[in-house]
Parts: sequence; C-alpha cells; structure tokens
Amino acid sequence: MHAAISAIEYHFPEKTLSTADLSAEFPEWSAEKIDQKTGIRERHIAAPDECASDLAVAAARKLFASGACAPGEIDYVLLCTQSPDYFLPTTACLIQDRLGIPTTAGALDFNLGCSGYVYGLGLAEGLVSSGQAGRVLLLTAESYSKFLHRRDRSVRTIFGDAAAATLLTAVDTPAPLLGPFVYGTDGSGAENLIVPTGGMRCPRSAESGVASEDENGNVRSRDNLFMNGAEIFTFTLKVVPQVVGTLLEKAGILLEDVDLFVFHQANQYMLEHLRKRLKIPAGKFELAFSDCGNTVSSTIPIALQRAAGEGRLPQGSLVMLVGFGVGYSWGATLLRWRAGTRV
Amino acid sequence: MTRAEFLSEMDAILELPAGTLTGGEKLADLEQWNSMAMLGFIALADTNNGTRIQPRQIVNCVTVGDLLTLARAEGAAS
Repeated sequence: MHAAISAIEYHFPEKTLSTADLSAEFPEWSAEKIDQKTGIRERHIAAPDECASDLAVAAARKLFASGACAPGEIDYVLLCTQSPDYFLPTTACLIQDRLGIPTTAGALDFNLGCSGYVYGLGLAEGLVSSGQAGRVLLLTAESYSKFLHRRDRSVRTIFGDAAAATLLTAVDTPAPLLGPFVYGTDGSGAENLIVPTGGMRCPRSAESGVASEDENGNVRSRDNLFMNGAEIFTFTLKVVPQVVGTLLEKAGILLEDVDLFVFHQANQYMLEHLRKRLKIPAGKFELAFSDCGNTVSSTIPIALQRAAGEGRLPQGSLVMLVGFGVGYSWGATLLRWRAGTRV
Repeated sequence: MTRAEFLSEMDAILELPAGTLTGGEKLADLEQWNSMAMLGFIALADTNNGTRIQPRQIVNCVTVGDLLTLARAEGAAS
C-alpha cells in the first residue's frame, strides 16, 4: 500500500493586511513598490485569540465537509507548526479532540517551517506503506504574525497566517504515488531565521522584549522573528537548484518530464529568480501568494489545491514539490496527481 | 558580464536613470542601496557569473566598483 493525496483544503483568518495598509504605516514605501518586489497584495492575520490550532481545525472541517472522509476514519494526525498553542501538550492532541477523531488515532506535532509539507508527505508515506496508518490527516498551520514586530517591514510585507489540511489515504498501487524524497538540513543557518527567545535556551524577559532599530530602519526585539533576507536568499540560490537536480536524478527523469513545479511560495522576487535560473517555463511554475503572502508550511498545499481546482492538474500529472527555509531545512518530492482528488 | 553591462544592471537595481553609475560611487552615499538592492546584486551575480555571493562579503564593499570585483570573483561561493 502507498499513500495518495485524496483531498486538500485550506483556511485563512478573516482579518487581512493589505499592501495599501502597509504603505500607510510605512509611508517611505509605496504600495506599488511593495507589490512589485513581493508580489503580495494581501496577507491574512490571525486574531489575538486565534491560534494555529484554530486555523488547522477550520481547514480540517472544510475537508470533512467536502465529503472526503469523516473524522472517525482518520487514524493518524500529523501537525506541522512552529507556533503551537502550548509547549505541552502536543497541539495535534488538542486537534484530535476538537475534531472528534478517534482516540485510537496517533497524533504528533513536528516543528518545521517552509520545508514542512514535503516532510509531512514523507512521514505520511512511511506510515501508510509500513501499515501503521490508512488515513493520515496532514495539517500545516502557522500564526507567524504573532512573532512579528509591527515596525519590521522586512517580515510584515512577506508573511501571512493560514492552515491547510491534506488527507492521505492508503491505495493499492504497485509503485508509490509520492516520491522519491530528497531531504537536507544545515543548522549552521539557524540564526538567519529565528525567534531568539521564548524557548528554554533563552526565555522571554523584560529585557528581551526591548525593541531596537536595525541599520535598515526595521524595529524588533529578541522576542520577535528575525529574518536575514540576504542570507536566506543566498541559501536558497545554493540549495534549491541542487535539490531539484538530485531529485530528478534519483527519479531518473528530466526537468521537461515534470508537468508542474510547486515550490514553497516565499515571495515573487525569489521565485522568479529560481524559475529563470532553473529554466522552468513560466506556464509550468505555480504562483499562489498574491492574496495570502508567505504562509510558511501551508504555501505548497494552498498552491496545489488552487492548481487542481483551476484544472491545471489532469489525471497523472507529475508534480514537483520543493520546500526550503528556516532551519535551514529543505526537501523535495514528486507526486502523481490522481483524478478525483477533492479540492 | 562587462563593466558597462554591470553598471547598467546596477542602475536598474538602484532605480537610477540609465548611465548614472560610473563605478566610483560610494555605496553609503546611494540612497537606494538597501536590503532589497542587496538581493538584486546577489541575484545579478548569480545569474550572470554563477557567482554565489555571501552577504558578509558585501559588507566589505565600499564602492559600486567593489561590487563588480566581487561579482566577478571566482570561487566567491562557499
């Protein structure tokens, strides 16, 4: 048995932050310039009392409402998040209860960012092919907005909150529908995308909450998310072409054999450069961030759902997924799209 | 990439009229030399020379001409 994607749904918080809103807050930046550089015109922002689990539950309920399956049929919950409700208990356990998923189901959180969806698919394939699970609910959910300082335009222009729910079911096929998988990790880049405080290494304190302005005029404290954009860009230029090449080699196919490329939707500038660098035709390169921004581990399932919903994934389409970011962590895989997948 | 081509590309990145830069300009004096322009320079070096610039190398550049030297450097990638 192998895992197949049977359904994908996503959910955005109600509140939005438009480029015009940001331009009003940062008058030195025109809305046109923000749009041009990021390709993002709107981001969704979780309410103060709205957590990643709330977004994940809403996405999962949409999936169940589509008729893909009932909560009682789920036997494993995987939740990818870096903004859990609590240190403990595990947020996936809270979600199991809220969704009415059987107490016989397994549930766990895993802490990854933009590479997380690919890792989640890999875990799901392992659970299914080893006979440990038959219906896996893979959830990705983030409320990064809660980490951002309101005067840090370097990240407020980019990130939005969202969750996605993907149902993976066991199907009897001779060959996997997901894979091969290529993974990579380089923890030496940890400091370039980080919330420095709040964990055991450096708990939050009055001192850590004091904000200061950096050389680019962005303001943040050590309790906020910090992103070194230039370092992240350089890491991406190094790793993404490599991982794409390795995956093609491992699968024994050519770039031309791939029908659609769905990369982590970081921002327009980065994606456009990667697309040109890899010589991927624009028509085969999915872009899905203008109305939601960079939603971290949910960007790939959102883009996949939209591509399928808009008819760009006919039966048997070969899709390459590439996730990369915080950690550093990266992963890539191929999937064969099946007709009848609910989106 | 010739010097002229590089300067032309940098004019565009810094949103300056074509033909503005000569290479001797100090980066600190260029209002548009910011974090986004830095990404533009990294992308330019990657696209045209296959040179992977490390951001810490850019910090050592004083003039636009220094950026060209860096972009042309063999083995800048690590």
